[in-house]
This record gives sequence, C-alpha cells and structure tokens, in this order.
Amino acid sequence: MTPHPKPPLLSVRNLSIRFRTGDGMVHAVNDVSFDITRGQKLAVVGESGSGKSQIALSIMGLLARNAQAEGEILFDGSNLLKLPTSELNNIRAREIGIIFQDPMSSLNPYMTIERQLGEIVELHEGASRSTARKRALEVMDAVRIPDARNRLKSYAHEFSGGMRQRVVIAMALMCQPKLILADEPTTALDVTVQAQIMQLLDDIQRDLGTSIVLITHDLGLVAGFCEDTLVLYGGRIMEQAPTLEIFEKPGHPYTRGLLRAVPNIGDPAAKLLAIPGSPPNQRRAIASCPFHPRCVDAVTDCAEKLPQLDGGNSKRACLRPVEELT
Amino acid sequence: MLNYTLRRLFTVIPILLVLIIFSFYLMRLAPGGPFTSERPLPAAVMANVLERYGLDEPLHVQLWTYIKNIVFHFDFGPSFSQKDRTVNDVIAQGFPVTLTYGFWSAVFVLVCGVPLGVIAALRHNSFWDYTMTGLAIFSQIFPNFVLAPLMVLLFTLSWGLLPGGGWNGGQWQYVIMPAVALGTSYMAGVARLTRGSMLEVLGSPFIRTARAKGLPERTIIIRHALKPALLPTLTYMGPVFVYMITGSVFIDVFFSTGGIGQDFIDGAYSRDYSILLGLAILYSVLTFTLTLLLDLLYAWIDPKVRSNM
Repeated sequence: MTPHPKPPLLSVRNLSIRFRTGDGMVHAVNDVSFDITRGQKLAVVGESGSGKSQIALSIMGLLARNAQAEGEILFDGSNLLKLPTSELNNIRAREIGIIFQDPMSSLNPYMTIERQLGEIVELHEGASRSTARKRALEVMDAVRIPDARNRLKSYAHEFSGGMRQRVVIAMALMCQPKLILADEPTTALDVTVQAQIMQLLDDIQRDLGTSIVLITHDLGLVAGFCEDTLVLYGGRIMEQAPTLEIFEKPGHPYTRGLLRAVPNIGDPAAKLLAIPGSPPNQRRAIASCPFHPRCVDAVTDCAEKLPQLDGGNSKRACLRPVEELT
Repeated sequence: MLNYTLRRLFTVIPILLVLIIFSFYLMRLAPGGPFTSERPLPAAVMANVLERYGLDEPLHVQLWTYIKNIVFHFDFGPSFSQKDRTVNDVIAQGFPVTLTYGFWSAVFVLVCGVPLGVIAALRHNSFWDYTMTGLAIFSQIFPNFVLAPLMVLLFTLSWGLLPGGGWNGGQWQYVIMPAVALGTSYMAGVARLTRGSMLEVLGSPFIRTARAKGLPERTIIIRHALKPALLPTLTYMGPVFVYMITGSVFIDVFFSTGGIGQDFIDGAYSRDYSILLGLAILYSVLTFTLTLLLDLLYAWIDPKVRSNM
C-alpha cells in the first residue's frame, strides 16, 4: 500500500540515529520511515530534541562524528548512508540542497556573497567565474534580494537577518536541486519576514517543481504551506497525514495536545493548554509508546507495547482507536 | 584605510614623547652615572667631562636638547661609554643583525607552527595530534637559555655541523641556531594556538554549510577554514615578534652575534643613558610599527574589521 502513486524521490527506511556520548547512548531518531515524491511539500514537526534536524543532517551526510545512523536513505537508487563522501559530494547542493536555521552563523563571514554562491556552480557545473557570477545574480534576483548587482561583493555582516536567510536560500537554489531540506528556515526571523520567506519557498516549489521538506516546530507555518505533515515525538513518527486532516481530525493524542497548545487569535481569553510532563529521556531505547507518560488517553498497554505506524493515507502510531480519544 | 593608518601614525608622536620623558627621568633616578668608577675622577676632570656631554645642565634642559636633536637632526646623541661612537652608529651596526635572525626566527615560527597546528587539528585525537601536542608543550617549557647551550653541545661540539657563535656577515650557518633557539618555544605556542582555533572553526556552522555544498575537504580547509583559524595566531604573532627582538639579549650574548642585545646589556651596566634611551625608543617604534602592520593585515582578512576602520 503506497500513500502516493508516484515513485518516491527520496525514501527514508527504518532510520535510527544514535549518539555516543560521555554517559551512554542517546537515541535521537528511532525507526523512522517516510517517502518524499517529486514536487511534494512535507512538513516535519516536533519539539526540540524530537530528532527532526538530525533526520535532515543524516540525509546530507552531515551528522556529527559521534553519531551512528542505521537504516536506509534511498535516493536515485543509492543508499545515502552508505555512500562515501566523495560520491555524496556529487549529490550535496546539486541534487539535495539544505537551508540551515541560523543565517547569522551559517554564512562564511570572510567571503563575499558572490564567492559563496559562485563556488557551488563552479564546483558542480564547472562554471567559469563570470558564469558563476551571472548565475549568482540570477538566483539573488530570484530570492528577491534588492539591488543584487551591487550586493555581490558584500559580506554576510552587511546584510540584515532576513536578507541573510535569502542568501542561504539562494545557496540551496544555485544548482536547482530536486529536493530542498529547509531546517527551521524562519526561526531566527521576525514574523513579517517569516511570511515573505515562506512565500518565497512556495514560489520556488511551484516554479521549479522542487520537493521541499520543511522542518519546524511552528504549526502555523505548516498549515499554510505543506500538503503533508509528519509529527515526531521522541525520535518516532507519531502521526503522518495530509496537513488538513492533522488540523481537522488529529488522530494522535500528542498531535491533539500540540494543537490545543496553539494560541487562538479569535479567542484571546482562552486558556493555553500545555502538555503536562517533559520530553522523554532518550538515553535508553524505549520499547513502548514514548508519549504514554504524558498522554491523557494512556491505558496500561501503552506502557508495554510499541505502537506501529499504521493506516492508509493518514497513518498514526497509537494503540487506542481514534474514536476513544478525548 | 589610509585615513586610519594616518590617524594611527599620528598617535605615535605623543606616545613616544611620554615614553622618552618617562624613561629619561627614570634612568637618572638610578644611582651612579656613566663616569662614576671605583676610583673617583679628580673633581676638575669630572666637571670637564660632564660639561663636554652636557651633563652639567639641569635635567629638563638636557631633556629638551635631547628631544631637539632627535627631531631636527635625527641624532640620538653620543654614546657615553663607547668612545667616538654615536647611538646612531651603534644601532646601525647591531640592529640589522638582530633583525635578520629575528626575521628568520619569525619565519621559522610561522612556517613550522601553523602547519603543525593545522595537521594536529585535522587528525584530532589521533596519534599525530597527541604527539604534536606533547612535543609542543615540551618545547614551550624549554626556555631559550636551556635550548641554546644544548644546541651548541649537539650541533657544534658533538657533530660539528654548525658554528657555535659569531655572525660572519649573516651567512646561513650562523643564522640557524640563533633563529631556532629564539623561536622554538614560540613556535610551539603558535602550533597549539592554531590547533585550537582550527578545531573551533571546523566545528562552526559555516563549515557545515561548506560541507553541504559538496566541496571536497581540502577546499573547505584552504578556502573556508584557514583564514578565520589564523586570526588568533596573527594576533599572537605581533607581540611575539617584538618579544623575540627585544628578548633576544640572551641570544646575542650567548652566540656573540654582535646584535643589539649586547649593547643593551653593556649600556645598562655602564649607565650609558643615551644608548639605553635610544634602544628604548627603537623598541617602542618597532612595537608600534608591527602592531600597526598587523592591524592592517587583520583588516585585510576580516571584512568586519575593515568596515569599522
């Protein structure tokens, strides 16, 4: 049973990521599987520490040195986790681009924007300096950096936060990759700039048919942007469904809790409901539902069995039937 | 940038003035004088000598004459202890020697220290890293007055490879040991500093961005990491080079290079006011020039600094 009729562009199969630390293993991502098809916009939501950024880093082969990744990440017939760096380098930026969350520190402060953009096409397409400059200019125009021609020779610190994030996005676009991983692209920006950046990503997806994985903890962002949403908790997928359904009839107690915790602008007097408890301790492998200690609907079984992600177009990992949830 | 340089050059004048006045009075506070000896000179002779060097005048008049001569004639006065030589002569003869091996020593520090640090950082926590760090700590605690005799013992007395002293117009055989003995502990410092900053830079988000571009590791290091990793080293090198030149007194004496350090020592023993003052000015001008050069170099590397100039 495949949720999408088209063959997937990227397929993550049973991905687990663990970190060796001074006091034991940390299980950051556990048995995560999902597909991305061409032109799809998929949101990966979860709180800090849910493993969402680690999934993006593992796709790019950029996990920290003390990380171990198991499972498969299939792209164009090869398993990215097993690929040597030299071959991975042919995929990075050319096939899969990434937008990092902090535009302040993810640009090199000692290189001009032109060089930082240009070196990508020089590397992957063998472009000359002047071709690279032309391409950088085009892409800077495309991400709507005003007066791009005169800003080519600028350095990162000469840009505002929003403009820097546009430069970071421009970087991901240089080779027109098939897939862009946007790791909290708007976290560091204020709300109006956030909206502009999301609009920009939307345009890119529409014009170039790029698939986009949006990693965020901001449900509001997801609502307006992605067709599909994947909810992570404790490094496991809790629910995966079309975004509309996630919002209208969330099938997992965790998703429900998250939605109740979102402030409602129409009813400012309404109380915000926090989810009681704190995120799970990931120092041990959990063989039960990671959410059960905080779950209002938990039954005894929840502490003993590991629910499997199940369902058709909307999948959920919960032992209790939807109808019985509060 | 030009504006900045001129502004900086302009600030030297008051600094030098304060330095001259301060050192001038400070030196006169020390007991004795250039012509005191165990058997005192007859009063008449002493008066004669003092008059000849202008030492009979009140201090502020002497100071004024001294400054006037420097400003109008670039004349730092006659040496009190070395007959018929002026301070200008002494500096012109000894300083090039010290500067020569000081320069080669600085080259040695950078050419060996930086690559060692970079390699240790790239092979982080490996055999090479530990060996390098161990060696660096070992040579950092080795002062040059231990290293120099040791080198002479090995290279001159045991193996007869290098001359144990002298200068001989600055032939390379004569330069090597003073330069290496002077630089070794600083070289170790540079290696450790470079290793640390390289490790820090390699862990920074913009290096991750460079990796995400698919750049090969070599390009990442040369194009993206080296510049920022070298900034702390540069900052360190400025004062270090001055230390190396001024702190070379021991090397000058031990290897009999004929460098300026020997004159400094002799001048201090014989209360040769004009030599001491002349060398103090020389060292401060050197310090100033080097820090300025370094700041300009820094600005050339770091665009953020450049835009603040």
